[in-house]
Amino acid sequence: MLRIDTPPPHGGRLEERVVRDPELGKKLAKSCAATYDIKPTLSDGVPIRNVYREIMSICYGFFSPVEGSMKKAEVERILKERRLLNNWIFPYPLVFDITEEELKDLGVTVGDRLLLRLKGKPFAMIDIEEIWRIDNAEKLATKTFGTPEDNPEVVQEAFNAKMPGWVIYKSLNPVVLAGKYTIINEPTFLKPFDRFWLPPVKSREEYARRGWKTVINHQTRNVPHIGHEFLMKDAGFTGDIEPCHGIQVNAIIGVKRAGDYPDEAIIEGHEAVNLGGYIKPERHIVTFTLWDMRYGNPLESMLHGIIRQNMGCTHHMFGRDHAAVGEYYEMFATQTLWSVGIPSFGFPASVNDVPYGLLIRPQNMREFWYCPVCNEIAYSECCGHTKEKQKFSGSFVRGMVAEGIFPPKVIFRPEVYKVIVKWWKEFNYPFCNAKYVKEKELRLEVDLPDMDI
Amino acid sequence: MAKYMSVLLDDKRMEAIKGSGLEEKIDKMFGGALNAFTLELSDAKAKEVMDAFFTARVDSRAFITDVPIAFCRTLFEEIAKAKSLGDDVIDAVLARVDEIKEAADKESEFLPVPEF
Repeated sequence: MLRIDTPPPHGGRLEERVVRDPELGKKLAKSCAATYDIKPTLSDGVPIRNVYREIMSICYGFFSPVEGSMKKAEVERILKERRLLNNWIFPYPLVFDITEEELKDLGVTVGDRLLLRLKGKPFAMIDIEEIWRIDNAEKLATKTFGTPEDNPEVVQEAFNAKMPGWVIYKSLNPVVLAGKYTIINEPTFLKPFDRFWLPPVKSREEYARRGWKTVINHQTRNVPHIGHEFLMKDAGFTGDIEPCHGIQVNAIIGVKRAGDYPDEAIIEGHEAVNLGGYIKPERHIVTFTLWDMRYGNPLESMLHGIIRQNMGCTHHMFGRDHAAVGEYYEMFATQTLWSVGIPSFGFPASVNDVPYGLLIRPQNMREFWYCPVCNEIAYSECCGHTKEKQKFSGSFVRGMVAEGIFPPKVIFRPEVYKVIVKWWKEFNYPFCNAKYVKEKELRLEVDLPDMDI
Repeated sequence: MAKYMSVLLDDKRMEAIKGSGLEEKIDKMFGGALNAFTLELSDAKAKEVMDAFFTARVDSRAFITDVPIAFCRTLFEEIAKAKSLGDDVIDAVLARVDEIKEAADKESEFLPVPEF
């Protein structure tokens, strides 16, 4: 009775919308009325989002029960009460947006099937069920993330051009093609991502193979410093009658804000933690999800909960400033959502305690810091030396890296820092900048097999 | 509320301030693993820094971070010159803001890989 079982997928079943038979894929491609080459969403000429990542995450089941680009009524319901039309909770509108000119050129209408090409090759298709318009993208962006007036529990500042997620929604094209996606030509992942790709069906199989019943997820968009490592280790003591069998790192791979680390360094940096034996590989697994981060703190945490429940995790650790940028949200807004709820977002109780909510269990953690008195990495709710504490500020650590100062072992494991330097050499820069993002958008994370149609 | 800035001191910088009297003001961080100066900025000075650099932010420790590396380098130079950690140093750095921004433009494309 005290044992915790693997939760079912959000919505009851995993969506897998991937055609693996090349002949069937060709046949479906030929049935399409028109062809569209996927382009990144741009802001000032810099890529900020690529809808291909949403298509991948939807079709491989990370976002179950979402099956495609959303209809107008669904987007409106999400903005009002963060629920899909089938009642299951979901935080963000997800749409396939194009320009009026593109719609005219394509000449498609409701009932048509549109072939979506990526890197010049057939990739997926969308069965168009509705075509609708975004009247005011800025208003959509603001409603997506909230305002201090409408969401006073957690929103502290009005969103603006410094908030990447707000900029993504503000930059959407006005025409939305709504309908289900299907991948008809399965992509292959480039190095180093190929060895970390574990979509929900596979992750559930992998946990079972390893004998893991309880798995706690660590969300990351960072190369792990020691504070992150101790968060993982200590949160991992959560479980049922014993600590969680597995600690999963699920990195978000996609466009990130300038100053975050490159995706390659993030994922290999986490791998270095287990290769170095700091958390042994038998208990630690590194995976990723394709998603251009919106940095929506509590809303992003809901998406994270959905992804990781779909992957089969029983627990999810949440810290301070979860998936946050700036001070738009209160720093523990995510923990508020997962403990008492945020009524103005449609949750009068925790997202675990509402109908059609989540079953993955939150492990809300406060902070880890270095304590020179304890002479160890200390948990804020244990350590009484609050005057002497030295916090792991991500931006402080990034500043140290940028200045070329070799980080002490109490900040980065040497193996992890070597990964930063490896990718620094590759990109001539330790962090995401416009050059990295532009080059990455040409390369993406995948290649596609030839498909002659 | 006061804001702070941290200036990390590697071996080269430690050598540069030897005998300046600034050694007494060094903060030992992370159990002595890192040396740094900590500057306390008045609200007005903090605002000037924040306004001058789009990327600048205040972290959870109330420290101003994410300023260009050129800013940190210039800040150290002015500290070493003035032998002070006061607002006068920030004024001297802000007087060189054009030079810092020019260097920052270059460093947004390239940062030298450290040799160890």
